Amino acid sequence: MTVLSVSLTKRLPDFTLDVTWDAADVVTGLFGPSGSGKTLTLDCLAGLARPDAGRIVLRDRVLFDAARGIDVPSRDRRLGYVFQGYALFPHLTASDNVAYGLRGRPRDERRRRVADVIGRLGLSGLEQRYPAQLSGGERQRVALGRALAPEPTLLLLDEPFSALDLPRRRALRDDLARVLRDWGTAAVVVTHDFTEAYRLADRIVVYEAGRVVQAAPRAELLWQPASEAVARIMGIPNVLHGTVVKATPDRIQLRWRDQILEAVNSPTRSYLPPPETPIAFFIRPEYVRLIRKDRGPADPGHHMNLMTGVVVADEDFGTTWLLRIRLDAPGPPAQGDHDLQVEVPHLVHEILEIERDRRWEFSIHRGSIHVLPA
Amino acid sequence: MDLFPLRLSLEVSLAATALTLGLGVPVAWALGRRAFPGHDLLAALVVTPLVLPPTVLGYYLLVLVGARGPVGRVLDAIGIEVAFTWKGAVLAACVGSIPLLIRAAQAGFEAVDPRLEAAARTLGRSEWSVFWSVTLPLAWRAVLAGAVLAFCRAFGDFGITLMVAGSIPGKTQTLPLAIYDHVQANQMPEANTLALLAAGLVVVLLLGLGRVVRLRY
Repeated sequence: MTVLSVSLTKRLPDFTLDVTWDAADVVTGLFGPSGSGKTLTLDCLAGLARPDAGRIVLRDRVLFDAARGIDVPSRDRRLGYVFQGYALFPHLTASDNVAYGLRGRPRDERRRRVADVIGRLGLSGLEQRYPAQLSGGERQRVALGRALAPEPTLLLLDEPFSALDLPRRRALRDDLARVLRDWGTAAVVVTHDFTEAYRLADRIVVYEAGRVVQAAPRAELLWQPASEAVARIMGIPNVLHGTVVKATPDRIQLRWRDQILEAVNSPTRSYLPPPETPIAFFIRPEYVRLIRKDRGPADPGHHMNLMTGVVVADEDFGTTWLLRIRLDAPGPPAQGDHDLQVEVPHLVHEILEIERDRRWEFSIHRGSIHVLPA
Repeated sequence: MDLFPLRLSLEVSLAATALTLGLGVPVAWALGRRAFPGHDLLAALVVTPLVLPPTVLGYYLLVLVGARGPVGRVLDAIGIEVAFTWKGAVLAACVGSIPLLIRAAQAGFEAVDPRLEAAARTLGRSEWSVFWSVTLPLAWRAVLAGAVLAFCRAFGDFGITLMVAGSIPGKTQTLPLAIYDHVQANQMPEANTLALLAAGLVVVLLLGLGRVVRLRY
C-alpha cells in the first residue's frame, strides 16, 4: 500500500531537484552521493522548503499541491523529522526534548507518553541530562524519541549516523533498524552510504544530481542496478566493459580481455542487445573463486569462466584481503594496473599462502556476472 | 544635596530600556531571521543614532514631537505632551540607546541554529511558540547584554535629552545635565558626588552582566 507519494520540482540557482517516487508502509531509503538533493527532498516533505511544482500526498492527506495552491505548514504535517546532527534543543533536558512535540495534550497523557518513549528507547536514568551531557548514541535516541513521541504518520531521518564515529555506527545501525521495526512507523531514511541504506531500508530510491535513477527493493538494487551510473553510485567494484557475442533470454555471452565470458540474463528484465554491442557488467569481488592447486586441474565442466592471472597487489582489510589481479591477456589491464578486484577471507589468504604464491587460476559462476543495461 | 536628578535618571533609563526592549527585540528578530524588502535599509537606519551628532538627532525628534510637529499634534489631541517633559527624556534616551540593543540581539538571534527552529516547527509549534520556546531561550544572553548596554547609554544621555526635554531642575533635569549645571555654577563637590555615583553604577552593572552571560547550562 502506498503511504507516501512524492512528485516535486525545486529550482535553486545552481541545482534543480526533479523527482517522483512512492513509499510503501515500510522503510524507504533515499540513497545517493552528497549534493544529489536527498536532504532538500526531506525538507520539502517536512514543509521546511517549498517546491516550485509538484504534489505530496501522505495517506490520502494532500500536504502540498502546487496546482491547487495547497501548502500545509510544517506544524500541521505530523511528520517526525530526525535531523542530521540531531538538532536537539541544548537548553532542554532529554525528557523535555522528548516532550516538546506534545504541547497541548493533557498533562497526564504527556507524562505517560514521555515515560513510555524514554523506557522503550532505553533512556531511563538520563531524563534530566542536557544534550551536551549525552553520548552520540544517546543523543540519537533522544532525537528519535522527540520525533516519535507525537506519533507521526511518517518518520524522516537525515543521515542518522553522520555524527558518530565508525565503531558506534555499526552497533547503532542495528539499534535503529530494531527501533524502526519495533515502532512500525513508515520511515524515509536519507544516507550516502549504501551499506546503511541496505541495512535499514526495504526499498531504496537512488538519487543522482537531483533525479531518481532507480527505485527498487533493496535486494533487486543490490543484484540488478539499472545502469552503469547506478552501479558506480553504489560504489560497486569491477564495473567493466566488453562486447556482446550472443544474447538469449537466459544467457548473455560477451567478450572481455580476449576471452569469452558467460553471464545469466536477467530473468525479469531480459536484455537482448545485438552482437558486437558494447556492454557494461560487474563482477562482485567476493564471488570470484580461486582454484586450489592441491585438488588437481580445474574442470571446465564445473568451473565456469576460467581465467589465469597474477596478484599484483593485496590490501589487508582486517577480516578480508582485497587482491588486485592482472590477467594473462594481451593489451592494457581494464582498471589501471589490474583487471579484477577479488576479495578473500583472511583465513583463505593464509591457507593458500597468497602472500608467497602470486599466480592463480580463477573461475566466476555465470550467475555472478551481472549485466548492466545501457 | 538634591538627589532628584539621580532618581529621575534611574526612572527615565528604566522606562527607556523597557521601551527599547519592546520595540527593539521584534526589530532585531526581523533583521536576524527574516528576509523582506527594505531589510538592508532598516538595518542601516537603526544604527544612525550611534553616528549622528546627538544635537541633530535631538533637533529632529523635537521637530517631530514638538507642539507643532506632526506626531506632537496627534499626541496633543489625545492629551499627551512629550516635549520638555519626563516623557521626552524617555524618548530621547530610547532613541539614543536602541541601536545597542538591536545590534546585540540581532547577533544573538543570528547565532541560533535555524535547524533548531525548523525542528520546533515540525513538532507542531507556531512561529510565536518557536520564538518563546527556542529562539529567545537560546539568545537571551545577547538580548540581556544589549539591554544592559542600552540602559547604561540611556542613563548617560546628554545631548538628545537636552534638546527634547530641556534641563528643567526638578522636572526634566537628569543626572548628566545636573552635573553640567553644577560645573557651570562652580559647585564642584556636588558635581563630584553625582559623577562618582554615575560611574559607580555603570561599573557595577557591567561587572554583574559579565558574570551572568558566562553562565552555562
